[in-house]
Order: sequence, then structure tokens, then C-alpha cells
Amino acid sequence: MTSTERQAKLLSVTLRVANNIASILDPQELLQKTVDIICDEFNFYYAGVFLLDDKNEYALLRTGRGKAGDAMIAENHKLKVGGNSMIGASISSQHARIALDVGEEAIFFSNPHLPNTRSEMALPLTVGSNVLGAVTVQSEEEAAFSEADISTLQGMADQLAIAINNADQHAKNQFLLNQAQRRARLLDAANEVGCGVASILNLDELLPKTVDIICEAYNFYYAGVFLIDEKKEYAILRAGRGEAGKAMIAQEHKLKLGGNSMVGMAARERIARISLDVEGEDSFFRNPHLPNTRSEMALPLCISTKCLGAVTVQSEEGNAFSDDDIQTLQTMADHLAIAINNANLIDELERAHAELLRTKTYEALSGATTEAIHWIGNKALPMTITAERMLDDLNEPTLDIASLKEDLEMLDASAKLIVEVKESLLGPARETAPRPLMLSDLWLASAHKTGLQPGKLTVKPAPSAPLAFGDSVQLVRAFSNLLRNAEESGAKNITIATEASEIAGFVTTRISDDGVGIPEEMQDKIWASFFTTKGEGFKGMGLAACLHIISQLGGSIRVESVPEKGTTFIVDLPAVTKLPTADLSPSPTNIAIIAPAGEWTDFATEALRNADKNVSQKFGPNTDLLLLDESLADETLPALEKLGQKTLILSAAPSVENITKYLQAGVKDVVLKPYTTEDLSKTLG
Amino acid sequence: MPKLLLVDDEALVRRSMQKTLLRKGFLVETASDCTEGLNIYKAAENTDTPIDMALLDLNMPNFDGVPAHSAGLDLLTKMREINPELLAIVLTAYDEVDTAKEAVKRGARSYFVKGREQGLVDLINEILA
Repeated sequence: MTSTERQAKLLSVTLRVANNIASILDPQELLQKTVDIICDEFNFYYAGVFLLDDKNEYALLRTGRGKAGDAMIAENHKLKVGGNSMIGASISSQHARIALDVGEEAIFFSNPHLPNTRSEMALPLTVGSNVLGAVTVQSEEEAAFSEADISTLQGMADQLAIAINNADQHAKNQFLLNQAQRRARLLDAANEVGCGVASILNLDELLPKTVDIICEAYNFYYAGVFLIDEKKEYAILRAGRGEAGKAMIAQEHKLKLGGNSMVGMAARERIARISLDVEGEDSFFRNPHLPNTRSEMALPLCISTKCLGAVTVQSEEGNAFSDDDIQTLQTMADHLAIAINNANLIDELERAHAELLRTKTYEALSGATTEAIHWIGNKALPMTITAERMLDDLNEPTLDIASLKEDLEMLDASAKLIVEVKESLLGPARETAPRPLMLSDLWLASAHKTGLQPGKLTVKPAPSAPLAFGDSVQLVRAFSNLLRNAEESGAKNITIATEASEIAGFVTTRISDDGVGIPEEMQDKIWASFFTTKGEGFKGMGLAACLHIISQLGGSIRVESVPEKGTTFIVDLPAVTKLPTADLSPSPTNIAIIAPAGEWTDFATEALRNADKNVSQKFGPNTDLLLLDESLADETLPALEKLGQKTLILSAAPSVENITKYLQAGVKDVVLKPYTTEDLSKTLG
Repeated sequence: MPKLLLVDDEALVRRSMQKTLLRKGFLVETASDCTEGLNIYKAAENTDTPIDMALLDLNMPNFDGVPAHSAGLDLLTKMREINPELLAIVLTAYDEVDTAKEAVKRGARSYFVKGREQGLVDLINEILA
């Protein structure tokens, strides 16, 4: 080969090595490929690459050509830096050492695996001022290396050094990246437990979730949570991962505090116990459910100086726990301890609350029962006194008829009060049938029911107020009580105003009167049964019934009162947000409506006229159906004579007595008054 | 004929007790609350026939018209400010030791649980004797 040809070949080989350096990421493959190219392309006897050990004391053979190379690798061949070898010398001096006749080279290390070496070149692998190792190139010929060879190979060695350095940095970076990713995953897991800690107060939910998170995030074999029992004798397993955990929970697995287990020790000593190889651990509990455990960590669950239990974490690998693992798991355990403590506190609080509730309920029941007994006793008292006196009087020779009559009237009055209270108590408790209701009309019905003087009540029109959702029978009962209350307070005027509530989804009614008002100190007591500010003769049941009915319908009632000025009750009831509609066209054509002028009459008239019905305010020969409001029934029915069969009496709160009366008078039916086109359609059939 | 003042807010109780006491030979004036009771008592003090004994319900509207558990004792105190020698019996529906003690402390001669009227008549006669 001419010098020019060799020069060209060297350039070609250099280029190929450079390509390999750029394309091969695995350091070992890179080194092997480099020695192969050197030997194959230059026809050298042997090439090898040494890299420095961690202490920079020895150059370790990392790759070598052929069987000689394999044999030396197997022998862990190494050469002392600066010692009796060309490699050692080139590394320590950071200069190439070239022996064109190794027999004359003072520091040539005679190698039994390479007996034919006659020339050797040792090229240091340097990056900047750092030396990484050296390349040895050996030939069977003396003076085998030309200046060009030396220059080319040194260039190649320099590139190799950079590549090795890069690969080393890459490996370090990869290690750091993996470490960072693992740490991030662990922090995520710790965070997840932290979130659970903040949001889950039920230990039966939190503890199993925590062991699952630990095992999934760290890829551990098993995790479990033990809590110390009340006697502080045992740590009892409360959650365990997988089938092993289920089996142990079923067996009520527990470990003695301070006994022959890492959990028992950790819980008693309040310090973490870590075994990277459980075979050598005296306090390791050999668990038949977890035969593959090689490493175990037991972390105490502590709040201040109090230990609540311990977490066990187990791995199938020895040395399984890194510092990061230990640190993040202990943080997790600390969070878990806080959660367990919080859950215990909540439990205690709930127990205390339940106890308080029992006490308060007992007090309330006892108070209500006492009031009821007192009330009934007071009403019954005159009956015993009167009956006793009547018996005495009957033994007198002359009967005082007037006195006996008075006594009988007293007996009757007392008995009636006792009987009436039954309806006041039981009525509000009856089942409700909520439907859309026009409150202004219910107030008129209530006024009619209570026999309120005409002109005393003003119901302000409220066309924009939404319909309420409730039971008309119960609400008429409640509204009647409020009206009766106002009247009994001496009110001359009672005003009803209905409007959409400030609370979304509710409708508000204010019932204001100008009566004597309620003293401030009594305003909290008025809602109790049998309480009255109006003296004897009043049952004290009205407002209690109102509160019951309105609360049962999802509403609320409160009072504002100024003594001697008057009282306002404010009732909030759920509002109907979407009005149900229906087609009224199948109903009769000629319909008469006899009802008080107002919102309901306007609604019914408009709805029927929109369905092309003929609506009139009078009953005539062409009338197919009469809709008669209950408040006008008594005065209208006698005039209907035999036409009652076309009459429907509409009542917001029909009573059995009135239903019987109207049906006997010959009407078609007595039905609940409709407040939507859907209900009107059902009414008209 | 001894003159009694019966103060009780329950009309039927009041009327029935009044009739029983009238039959037993007492003069009986009645009032339905503290204010009315005190007024009748004051008015009678200035006549030739003052009240010989007051029968006061314990639980009734007080001087503000508000039902109170010890309204009868308040009335008793006011009456005894006018006449410290007043004979009085406190009437109640409850058999309560502490309230009975308090009644005696305030000057009542006795504390009577309503419902045993013959016992009341005997008690009145005993105190008046």
C-alpha cells in the first residue's frame, strides 16, 4: 500500500470511527467496535481500551481484541497507573507512549496473552485536563507505526475519549433523571395520601387506599397499616394490600407492642425500623402470608409523643429502600397519623354529639310531655271538681237546676278543649301531597275557613310571584292558624304580600297584622306546643302546627313583632320553577266560573279562553259545566236547584263534613282547586 | 262569713272552685291575673270586709301579662307589702318541694296541689281557725 493509499484509508477509517462514535450510544459496544476497526482496518495484532477505576489507581481493561482480549477481560486485567506498563505511563503522563521495538522499551509490560507483540502504542484518552484511560494498539512488526498512523490513532482516541465522557455523562444524567422521576412519582403518591388525609375521615376508606397507593407508586410487594388497641398491648392490622392483606384482616392479625416484630418495635419505640435484608433481622416477624419478603420497613404513626400505630412496607428485593423511599414514606406516615388522629377526634366528637342529641331530645320530649300533661291536667281539673260538686248537689232535697246546667256546660267546655287538641296535634302530621299552588288563593280559602270578617284581610295582588310547591290542605290549615292568631291578637287589619324570595327557588309570603304583638322574650317560645300568650281557652297549638307543616314542605317560618304595634310572620316555601301545562281542548265547551274575583279567576278564565272555550260568570241553560268555588258554595247551591249535577265544587282544602254536605246537595263532585293548566285539565276530565 | 280571694287564669277552674267554696259557706271574689287580683285586694282592704284569705294560682300571667311560673308568688309579695299578716294558700298543678318551700318563705301559710277540693276546704278552715 502506497503512502497515499494508506493516508486515504486512515482518513476513511477515522471517518467510520467518528460515525460509530456518533451513532452508538452503548459505551461497551462503542469500545468494542473501535478496537475492531483499529485491528481490521490497520491490520494490527491487538487493540484494547483501558478505563480508570474510581480511585484513579488502576487502568481496567474494558475491551480487548479477540481471544486474548476475552481472556484478559475474564481475568479482570488491570494495569497500575504510572506503573510498569506503557498504558500506566501514558495515563500518568497524559502523553502517547510508542515503542517501535518493545523489547527495548523499559516500561513495556510483557503480556503472556500477547506473546507476538513487537511494537506497541499507548494513547491516553483525555478530555481537557481529565484523563479517562488509554488505548493500546499492538503490532507483530517492529516499527509498525508511521507518523500518520500515530497522528490518526491519537485523533481517534481523542474522539473516543469525548464519546466515553459523553456516554458517562449521559449515564449519570439518565440516573439523575430516573431518580428525579421516581422522586416525583413518590411525591405524587405522598400528595395523593395527603389529599386523602384531608378529604377522607373514614379510616375504613382511607387506610386501604393508602396501602394501595404505597404499593402502586413504589412497586412494593406489600404494605399494611396497624393501629394500637385501646389497652395499648397490640398493634392490630386495619388495612393490608392484596389477598395477603384480606386473609390477615380476616384472621384479625395483630402484633404485640415491642414484641418479636418490626411493627411492634416501631410502634413501641416510636422510631422507624428498616431491614434491608430481613434474614439477618432478629425482630422480623416471619409471616406465612408474605413468604417472599426480603426487605421490610416499619414506620411509626406518631402525633407529637403519642403513637397511634405503624405502617409496614415490604419488598421482595434486598436493599429495596432508597433514602428517598424512606423519607417520602415517613412523610406519608406522618400525614396518615394526622388523618387517623383527626378521624379519632371526629369519632369522639360524633359520639359526644350523639350523646348531646340524646340528652337534648330527652329534655325536649320530657319538656313537651310535661307541657302536654300540664295542659290536659288543667283542662280536666274543672271536670273532677264539677262532677264531685254535682254529685253533692244531687243529694240535696231541692235541685238547683241553673247551677247544675252551668256545671254541665263547664264539663262540656272542658271536654271539648281536650278533644279539639287531638286534631291540632294529629292534623299536621298527616301525609302530604305537594303540587303547584297559588298562595293568594290559599289565603282567601283560609280566610273563608276561619270565618274572618270581610274587609279585615287584604291580599295584595302578586301576578309576578311564582307558584309555591306544597300541600294545599296542610297549608290552608297553617294559614288559618296564622289568621286566627292575628285575629286573636286584636288585629283590625291583616295584610298578605307574596313575592319571589331572595333565596333562589323560594316564594315568600309576609302576613302582617296590627295586633298587640308578641313580647320579645316570648318570640322563641311561641313555636312550642301548648304555649300561648293569650291565656286559657287557647290551646297554644296553632304556631307549633304551622312550624311543623311548613318545615315538612321544605319551607321555613319566622316572626318579627313589636309589642303594641303588630306582628309579621314571614313564610318561605319552595317555588315551582317550571309550570306544567296541558291541552284543555278536550274539556267541555261552555264553562261557567263562580268564584271570588282575583288571581285564580283570571288564571282559569284565560286558560280556558286560550283553549277556545266559552267562559261566563253566570250559570245558564247552555252551560256544560259549572266551576264553583267553595267559598261561594253555600250561597250559590240553593239557587242551582236541579242543575247541581253539572257542578264541580273547587276547594283548596275540602273537609269531610263539607264534601258530604255538597254531595248530598247533588253536586257532581268536590275536587281540589287546580292552579295549573295541567291540574285544570285533570279537573275538567 | 270568711271572705276569700281566688286568683286563677283558667276560667273553668276558677268558676268551679268558686262554686264549691260558695257552697261551703265562704264569700268568694275572683280574679284572672295578678293585676286584677292586686286591685281587688287593695279595694277590699279599704272596706269593712277585707279579704281574709287569698288563694293564689302559682302559674298564671304576671303583672306584665306574660305567663310566668311564679306569678302567684309575686302577687303574694305585693299583697303582703300591703298587709304582712295576710293569710294565703298557693295553688298549683305540680307537687314541687322547692316551690312549696319558696312559697312558705314568701309568707304563704300553705301550698296546695289542685284536684282535691275537699282537702282545700278543710285546709282553709284549719288556717282560719
